[in-house]
Amino acid sequence: MSALTFTLKIRPNQRVDMSPLVCQHLHECEPTEIAAMPLRCGKQTVRVDELFSISGTDSADIIIKNSFDKLDFIGKDLAFGSITVEGDAGAYLGLSMTAGNIIVDGNTGLYAGAEMKKGYLEINGNTGDFLGGALPGNKMGMKGGLILVKGNAGDRVGDHLRRGMILIEGNTGDYCGSRMIAGTIAVMGTTGRHVGYAMRRGTLLLWNTPYISASFNDCGTHTLAFLPIMFKAFASLNSRFAEPATAFNRVQRYAGDMAEMGRGEILVKH
Amino acid sequence: MLTKLTGGTIYDPAKGIAGQQHDIYIQDGRIVNPPTADQLIDKEYNLQGKVVMSGAIDMHTHIGGGKGNIARMLMPEDHRADPVARTHICRSGCGHAMPSTFVTGYRYAEMGYTSCFEPAILPINARQAHMEMADIPIVDKGGYVMLGSDDYLLRMLTAKKDQQAINDYVAWTIQAAKAIGVKVVNPGGINAFKFNQRKLDLDEQNNHYGVTPREILHVLATAVKAIGVSHPLHVHGCNLGVPGNMHTTLDTIQGIAGLPMHLTHIQFHSYGTEGDFKFSSGAAQIAEAINKNKNITIDVGQVLFGQTVTASGDNMRQHANHKHANPNKWVTMDIECDAGCGVVPFKYKDQNFVNALQWAIGLETFLLVDDPWRIFLTTDHPNGAPFTSYPHLIRLLMDRSFRNDMLATLHPEAQKMTTLASIEREYSLNEIAIMTRAGAAKLIGLKDRGGLSAGNWADITVYTEHSNRELMFTKPDYVFKDGTLVVLDGKVVGTPWGTTHTIKPNYDASVEKELNNYFDRYLTMKLGNFKISDDELTEDGRGRITVQPLAGDLT
Repeated sequence: MSALTFTLKIRPNQRVDMSPLVCQHLHECEPTEIAAMPLRCGKQTVRVDELFSISGTDSADIIIKNSFDKLDFIGKDLAFGSITVEGDAGAYLGLSMTAGNIIVDGNTGLYAGAEMKKGYLEINGNTGDFLGGALPGNKMGMKGGLILVKGNAGDRVGDHLRRGMILIEGNTGDYCGSRMIAGTIAVMGTTGRHVGYAMRRGTLLLWNTPYISASFNDCGTHTLAFLPIMFKAFASLNSRFAEPATAFNRVQRYAGDMAEMGRGEILVKH
Repeated sequence: MLTKLTGGTIYDPAKGIAGQQHDIYIQDGRIVNPPTADQLIDKEYNLQGKVVMSGAIDMHTHIGGGKGNIARMLMPEDHRADPVARTHICRSGCGHAMPSTFVTGYRYAEMGYTSCFEPAILPINARQAHMEMADIPIVDKGGYVMLGSDDYLLRMLTAKKDQQAINDYVAWTIQAAKAIGVKVVNPGGINAFKFNQRKLDLDEQNNHYGVTPREILHVLATAVKAIGVSHPLHVHGCNLGVPGNMHTTLDTIQGIAGLPMHLTHIQFHSYGTEGDFKFSSGAAQIAEAINKNKNITIDVGQVLFGQTVTASGDNMRQHANHKHANPNKWVTMDIECDAGCGVVPFKYKDQNFVNALQWAIGLETFLLVDDPWRIFLTTDHPNGAPFTSYPHLIRLLMDRSFRNDMLATLHPEAQKMTTLASIEREYSLNEIAIMTRAGAAKLIGLKDRGGLSAGNWADITVYTEHSNRELMFTKPDYVFKDGTLVVLDGKVVGTPWGTTHTIKPNYDASVEKELNNYFDRYLTMKLGNFKISDDELTEDGRGRITVQPLAGDLT
């Protein structure tokens, strides 16, 4: 069976809600049924085949070709299988996904991996604000799984993060790890202002020393045995995080945010 | 245009009609006497076998005012889960616990409701509440103005001003806020919270003013009666939700000394302290007291299971309850010198002992109070449950086996603590019509509403008889609002605008002199801006004002 492939024929002016096109919805659907499924596009409803040409049959392996930055909600609530996006993705990529893999070639918009429960999300380009965050008003962001970003991320990475890992090879914007409840964020590049703002627990692992706010306490340098073990867990990833030379175990530790619970930590490579 | 509704089975308790068949004629928005033989019928609906009642009236539902908007901001996930798309006549919005204004109107109409009354309009926020209710289509609106914790009244009581001065102040406030009644919430307690008191019993003094809730209730109930407000003082009592508060409630009933008083969401005020968990039902004693004291009316504030959000002026009790917030986020705030408010999301669970017993206490109250003219069907929307659960509640009241089946699934300890299973009463259609129509219209003092005799406004709901009362009351066949067909087969087909019901009690104009000084000294707006003019409600061309007669004028 070949991968179920959606090739975008035209770039609509309005944003498209792609949430129906996930593996578990298309499972056991005839090709004609998939073609006739309704998609929201702005305030119109259009058929899938008005926007996409469809080929292949394996609904557990979905490929979206010619994708661009107005295709929102790709892989929303994904429960199994894999989705590969060739091109850019819009906002809410992998929102609340519970399992499976999503891989994006290009860049993505806001709220990628927001409130995801489990699974693997790989973004090869840059991503917008609130990566792995919580939807407005909600109390918990990502609750599990792994997000890998090879480019840069926007502001508020891991806002309200509850569990899981966010690995970023590039830089992040401001408020990285804001309001974190728990979980891990690792950033190889630079971070913006207010790192770990109001974090309760959890770990920020940084390669470059950020501007540390006054509500974090310097705890000195430490050799931490868990770091090599954690790096070893990244070995299977297609990423610089997997390279043996990347690993280290000596860090400067800052505890905070003392304006909150204060049981979080920022670890900076020493 | 003359419309004829033919052959329906009529339930019109206002005229003592319970299940007789006769025709109804509608002309120019009102129900009229049968026309002479030569008059042409323009439109006829065949209602053979259908149940016909007047449009339902919700006499206590939080649909307007600042706390609703706080609840909306606090619960975005609730809205995201229930989006409502626009149609060619309806606007888009969102629903569930605190629906958007337009969806509130549509969903009330779709259940056969044609009037709704917001029970907690803060005088200082009254303009916003009316503007918000002006966006609720189809249904008539109205509100009770909230007094009792306002600095001005407490100062008057401290200064031992005479009753006449208080009467003038109350009447002036009703007119200024365009209200139809007066509500008091945790009398004096909202204010006491600001002076660091975390509870206030009926005879406990406010730290700052030295005034007790009992005094506040007495002067306000006296004022409401004296100035001719039909709706008795609407009381949300002390100690809401506190185990053992049934004694406070019984004390409140005795203490009012025969003055008319409406005790609202009494379920939350009927708790004892017996049993292993020190939480028990006081419904039997409360119901007995209500059966005995004819001056008391109540609405229940039934709890039904599921997610909702509680929005109340009672910042003292909401602050105490914030630890139960689910999801864990809450707001308590001060509102100028007037009052306060608290918004706490709640998820009532059938496997939680307290929640399950609250459910049973509400139903016990419904079933043990004998006189349906003095008890009203509410969930204290959205505090006990969203108003959209009314049909389910009606089925619980009308169907004993369904009620007992539900009871059997609840927390086992809660089942042991309630007498519900042994209560045989089932509400009849006529009793439901009294509770939700004729009784409510009478309680609020609505002229020409809540009845189906000639002269009444043609607010009419038509149901198909069904043994499953929940299905029956969820989806009326037809709903008419002032003679216009607004709902067909449970779907909105017309969106006229309702009126705003008010009263205009008299007061001595000199009351403004002292108030003017007070406004200049303490409040954020001038007295002239505080008063809402008729034009503000009507100038957009869709709002109307109906001034209801005062109690003495009703015949």
